[in-house]
Amino acid sequence: MILTLGQSLVNAILLSGMLALVALGFSIVWGVLKVINLAHGSFIMLGAYITFTCWSAFGLDPFLTIPISMLALFLVGYGIQAGIINWVIRAPLLVTFLLTFGLDIVLVNLALFVWKGDVRSVSPAYAGNGFTLFFNPATEQGIQVPYVRLAAFAISLLLAAALHLFMSRTRLGRAIQATGQDKDAAQLSGVRVAPTYALTFAIGAALAGAAGSLISLMQPFDPGMGGGYRLRAFIIVVLGGLGSIPGVIMGAALFALVDVLVGISPLAPLKDGVAFAMLVVVLIIRPSGLAGKAFY
Amino acid sequence: MPTSPFDRLLGNRRRLVYGVAGAVALAALLLAPHLSLSGFTLTWLTTALLLAVRAQAWNFIGGYTGYAAFGNVAFYGLGAYGTAVAMTRLHWPFIPSMLAGALLAAAYSVLIGLPVLRMRGQYFAIATLGVAEATRELVSSPQLSGLTAGPTGINLPFFRPAGLTPLQAAEAGTRYFYLAAVALLVLVVAATWLLTRTKLGHSLVAIREDEDAAHMLGINTTWAKVAAFALSAFFTGLVGGHYAYWRTFILPEEVFNIRYTLDAILGAVLGGPGTVVGPVLGGFSYDALSTYLTFSKPFGFDLGQFHVAILGVFIVVVIVFLPRGIADLLGRRRFHWGIFLENIRKNRA
Amino acid sequence: MTSRSRTASFLFALTLLLAAGVILAPAARAADPGGACTITFGAAVSLTGATAKEGEYVKNGYDLFIADVNKGGGFKVGNQRCQVALKIYDDESNPDTSAKLIEKLVTDDKVNLLLGPYGTGPVFSASAIAEKYDVPMVEPGGAGMKIFTRGFKNIFGTLPGAPSYLKSAIDAILAKDAKAKTVALLIENDSFSQEVADGAAAYVKAKGLELVYSQQYPKGTKDISSLLTAVKGKNPDIVLGASHLADAELVMKQAKDIGLNAKAWAFSVGPATPEFGKALGKDATYVLGVTPWTPALRFKGEDIYGTPQRFAEAYKAKYGALPSYHAASAVATVIAFQKAIEAAGSTDPAAVRAQLAKLDVPTFYGRLKFAPEGIIVKPMAVIQWYPDGEMYTVEPADAAEKPLIYPAPPWTAR
Repeated sequence: MILTLGQSLVNAILLSGMLALVALGFSIVWGVLKVINLAHGSFIMLGAYITFTCWSAFGLDPFLTIPISMLALFLVGYGIQAGIINWVIRAPLLVTFLLTFGLDIVLVNLALFVWKGDVRSVSPAYAGNGFTLFFNPATEQGIQVPYVRLAAFAISLLLAAALHLFMSRTRLGRAIQATGQDKDAAQLSGVRVAPTYALTFAIGAALAGAAGSLISLMQPFDPGMGGGYRLRAFIIVVLGGLGSIPGVIMGAALFALVDVLVGISPLAPLKDGVAFAMLVVVLIIRPSGLAGKAFY
Repeated sequence: MPTSPFDRLLGNRRRLVYGVAGAVALAALLLAPHLSLSGFTLTWLTTALLLAVRAQAWNFIGGYTGYAAFGNVAFYGLGAYGTAVAMTRLHWPFIPSMLAGALLAAAYSVLIGLPVLRMRGQYFAIATLGVAEATRELVSSPQLSGLTAGPTGINLPFFRPAGLTPLQAAEAGTRYFYLAAVALLVLVVAATWLLTRTKLGHSLVAIREDEDAAHMLGINTTWAKVAAFALSAFFTGLVGGHYAYWRTFILPEEVFNIRYTLDAILGAVLGGPGTVVGPVLGGFSYDALSTYLTFSKPFGFDLGQFHVAILGVFIVVVIVFLPRGIADLLGRRRFHWGIFLENIRKNRA
Repeated sequence: MTSRSRTASFLFALTLLLAAGVILAPAARAADPGGACTITFGAAVSLTGATAKEGEYVKNGYDLFIADVNKGGGFKVGNQRCQVALKIYDDESNPDTSAKLIEKLVTDDKVNLLLGPYGTGPVFSASAIAEKYDVPMVEPGGAGMKIFTRGFKNIFGTLPGAPSYLKSAIDAILAKDAKAKTVALLIENDSFSQEVADGAAAYVKAKGLELVYSQQYPKGTKDISSLLTAVKGKNPDIVLGASHLADAELVMKQAKDIGLNAKAWAFSVGPATPEFGKALGKDATYVLGVTPWTPALRFKGEDIYGTPQRFAEAYKAKYGALPSYHAASAVATVIAFQKAIEAAGSTDPAAVRAQLAKLDVPTFYGRLKFAPEGIIVKPMAVIQWYPDGEMYTVEPADAAEKPLIYPAPPWTAR
């Protein structure tokens, strides 16, 4: 039992890094653009397929493909925001909701066309290797820590830290923050809103791409994989509160802990239900999330 | 309640125009089964009518009240399950079972509406999305399988009136479910029309325009929102019940599939939310087009594999150029291409 | 004309248009007879969407057999020979679309008989339409018993019932190790998998094994490591999965991640397809899968292929890869119709249905015989992934290409 709990704790910690990365891009787009990007999941999916293609066709190490998928998704994101979403950004919430939903359909079906519906998996030679903590020779059991997940955890935190530095220390980052807080005031002080939005959306997409690359190493996927991550991103951002990078990490940690604990209980088939119940309760008692200020 | 562009334009004569147009449409719909249409054509119309009903049902909460409900599939699924359980365990006839399913959905909407409707905007949207997912898991969970048979679903009785040959029964069945869909559409349109003439309807629009102001004016906003949510759930649940008996089986992963939430919203938004006619036209034409794309080969080109992608592009184009739906076009005095640019100019960054 | 009356007339015109659309919607058109005698089958198969891959296999099976049988002169109906045609649509893996398209095939395209779709949901809704119009359907891709226990007369299936799926794998393991004691069962929360699990759980108990862990998880789960952690705490001899391909891959991948070891791994769906080995690489090794058909089986049949090996060659010549059981099952459905039509001497649905019900013929797919409720009676074969990266048939004994390797070594010793 102790071992099961210990292993679960390790699982939860490693999972939370990846989930934080999944939610980061979603959170910054929501916070700055006030757009719930329903295509976020398909950006993650594209990242996974870029890694898969580079790995299976060119033999590139999956970790080395992360910059490639980030760059590709950055460009895709910039194009989508500048070319489409910017046109309706001031329309009511439902309009951007449905627009990104339409984009999601298009992207998923493009992926189905290009890569087919097969379940794919990225399994380099070192996949699944790891080290064991608290190994008990008598039962031959211990707490297993897989290298791939550990690396994914570290990369996620690094990217979160990089985003934090970018947002707080650079001119562009501060322009994004200013736009998120008050678009009109930012405009008056010389920020060009449309390109700033496009840049923000592109950063969000690039982070999703990195998340997709990491996820491809941990689990099999197909073009429909994104939907589940979109929902997780929602919950995590709401738990952590909109507009804070540490909040997202906290939200991800809480989500991962609950997810893992429910997973070892008889409530496992109600996993998502429990997560959503948690979400609704949080929204009722604290409509701005557990650790939220209003915006970036 | 002069909110839609139609109403403004038609002024005093709008009742007459609506009356005539509605009567003609209804006559055409009632005439259809007497023409020599194939079973498939009637089925095609039936699904399009059902989406029109669901779009109009969503319109109560999403269009008139302005609350972006993303969980209406929960009511669809509960309507289907309520109907199935009433028919198979209690051996009720279809119509009372369908009503029971719809009432179950409405009761559930009140239960979750009281907390969830306190949230606004995006948070409400997400919360309802979550409630729908959670409801699916709950219905298919082992803990409830005594009642719902868990993930294995429920088989319903087969529609086959006694004394008919199988082929006659098939035709009777097609007509029965078609006419039931027409009846549901008449009901939901009548309900919407009545709503626009009552205090509740005015309250809902006031909430959409400015909830705090509405509250200050003495409107019981909680009650009004819950009522709109329950209306939405009731009619969505009716369609769920229709689905269950028509399909003869239900599986949780099917009746709680998120596509039933999304296509209803699309129908309403493409047609024009917050109007009596818009969601009906939007829902009907969206589903009719969607079905057409599954088998058609226009100009000898097989669109099948791009079917869903085409719908996606269609949504994107309509949303960008007509964010207030087709009704926006119909309500203009004169059509000119500038409408599209005007919409973009208004909403771009 | 004032703008008001213009709008009024516009509305009116729109209503008329709606009415015209209703009236002018494509009227029934009979299928082109296309020659003296053609038997037209109709099918709606998932060529896009979640089960596009399996749908493609099924379509390949239909296409291959129909092309081959037409080369030999077609079906014998009474005294004449008839060519065979197939009208096929894409149901997009969506039961609603499936129902609509089957209705179109029957009432617009006027096909003679129906071949089935792939997947539990589409088979459920397609079979209801077949029953409605009283047209027999033989389906290759739905194994849920609930499809067959509805009292429908027109549905026949060539996959063995879901509850029997894991039995032969359990038997194969027990034959190697009578001392295996504990079993963990992971169940995807969908209709088919639940039936598989119920059947397996009952069989496990009947064989005197102990079910130490049995747990459903939501369909579409992305991360199963928490359930596997719980399984690890129980340290079972055998891990069984009632699920589909993606989940089988997920379980193996994450079992290695958290260091969960078992002496045997078996899954209802997944390992028996080549994708499983391609996706997992060497981590697929030692995993058992069950399948109604493999090219290694020893059947002698009275059909145009005769043996599994000859069917596999024909399939490989056309599609460049060995056939999966989906394709074989699809071919078996058309063979069932061929035999029934030849016995009936006509394509009359009632006559064909009567012959299908009492069909009993040996084929390359094995004995084609349907239980009273319409589902085939057929044992499952067992396959295992070998360290050389190939999948071999290990059960039944007469067709075994290799012996079963047991126990699977722990991950650290591989």
